[in-house]
Amino acid sequence: MSDLTAMMVGDRDVVMSCRVRLARNVSGFPFVGRATHPQRREVLETVRAAAGPDEATVGLVGGGRVGASAAESLAWIDLAALPKRDRQLLWERHLISRQFAEGDSPRAVAVTPDERFSLMVNEEDHVRIQVLRTGNALREAFDAAVRVDATLGSRLDFAFHRKWGYLTACPTNVGCGIRIGVMVHLRALRVTNEIEKVKRAAKELHLAVRGFHGEGSEATGDWFQISNQRTLGVTEVGLLEEFAGRIVPAVVAYEREARRVLLERQRTLLEDRVFRGISLLRSARLLGLDEAMKQLSSVRLGVCLGLIPDVALDTLNRLTIQLQSAHLRSGEAGIETDDDERAARARVARAALGDPS
Amino acid sequence: MAAPFRPCDHCAKPAVVHNTVIVNGQMNEVHLCADHAGAAGIQMPGQAPIHQLLGQLAQVPVTRQRGPACPECGHTFHDFKTSGLLGCAACYEAFAATVGPVIERAHGGASEHIGNVPARADDANQRAALLQQLLRELETAVSAEQYERAAQLRDRIKDLRPTASARSDGAA
Repeated sequence: MSDLTAMMVGDRDVVMSCRVRLARNVSGFPFVGRATHPQRREVLETVRAAAGPDEATVGLVGGGRVGASAAESLAWIDLAALPKRDRQLLWERHLISRQFAEGDSPRAVAVTPDERFSLMVNEEDHVRIQVLRTGNALREAFDAAVRVDATLGSRLDFAFHRKWGYLTACPTNVGCGIRIGVMVHLRALRVTNEIEKVKRAAKELHLAVRGFHGEGSEATGDWFQISNQRTLGVTEVGLLEEFAGRIVPAVVAYEREARRVLLERQRTLLEDRVFRGISLLRSARLLGLDEAMKQLSSVRLGVCLGLIPDVALDTLNRLTIQLQSAHLRSGEAGIETDDDERAARARVARAALGDPS
Repeated sequence: MAAPFRPCDHCAKPAVVHNTVIVNGQMNEVHLCADHAGAAGIQMPGQAPIHQLLGQLAQVPVTRQRGPACPECGHTFHDFKTSGLLGCAACYEAFAATVGPVIERAHGGASEHIGNVPARADDANQRAALLQQLLRELETAVSAEQYERAAQLRDRIKDLRPTASARSDGAA
């Protein structure tokens, strides 16, 4: 299998990652915004006890594997006690929301070592189950999220209403309380000015289109998070089928077609952007975040079209996270000023992509 | 003095909308009951879309707009309007009249959960109630020839039935 064919597996040329999130509240407690700190602490302890110490107890691992080793244990991170930079680090890795990273009330997140699962306690809702996967692996992510939900739901009484379904602090999440989403790289659709069409179509299908960091982040770059908005009057499986069976394939096909057209009709312009991008990332001594993301986007398109055979897609995916501010600052000591950070970003990019000098 | 009774132009009900329409220089009076006014696309007071209602509520002085509080957690409708969040599960009942339409609007008109039910959804009664609702919905869907939705509902009903009977068996 060629590198290019390999990229098509799991639609990795377009879909960077996918996510399934479930919102749940524990019966008998006010929702987080209304709960006192002692109540929030009690919720935290209740959920933590129900989740158990490892992946097996939380339901992530099926019956085939007995006795999770220490390496598979869930890491519980107390957000209230965590330094600001480390909170930002979790946010940059898409493990927690920005809202969850801020504030000082009792809350925690449980994360698996592979970071493909996180359980936020006391975010907007008492429990937010989140499963992340690289590429388009929605069905796998869905199965894992549903398993954890079933495990937790057998140990905790979740707030539920026979008309409105799972009750959530925000009424826009009631019903299934599920968000199914994909992070897609739509560089060619941006270049060909067709992204607005995608956004309009998404709106008609009751989908939300957001930026790289989800809610609150503008979709200004070339990465977009597309997720469902309707959670009531739909079934979980129905939503999954619609997403995995119809929506994602349509978006992927649309972006691939735009790439094909670009390559066919504007090859020189395309190559110019791609090779400028890789040269800049391989040579710059000072690199701002916006510029880095913009060039990474061009390079990613070039890699997916086979123009830059010596760079792996995984390297680029990793760089989108590693070049974020808190990652740079925690990776190297002595980064204090913005220029220090820009210099560090350039160093990390050069090291990952190969400095020709 | 009370306004003289005037029947609707289309039926015997009292007219509540009185309009003067000028067409080609010819002046005509139109008198419609609430039903026919609605059918003609004329919005009646109290039937405004929810966002307009919310807009009107925002202009009510603060002391009046706080309104009744949720008996369980003390959250007010004003709190909901400012934060977009409810205070507890009981708020959904306490503010059903106002929050219900907001929910339906947010979910494209849907008004019933048809998805999964938690493993510990109280008892068989809750499941039975849900089952009844789904059966009613199925009837509506079938008569409206919404077969895709009907199929979804049938799946849910199938999922619910064995558990409900298993539970009642267990309790017996």
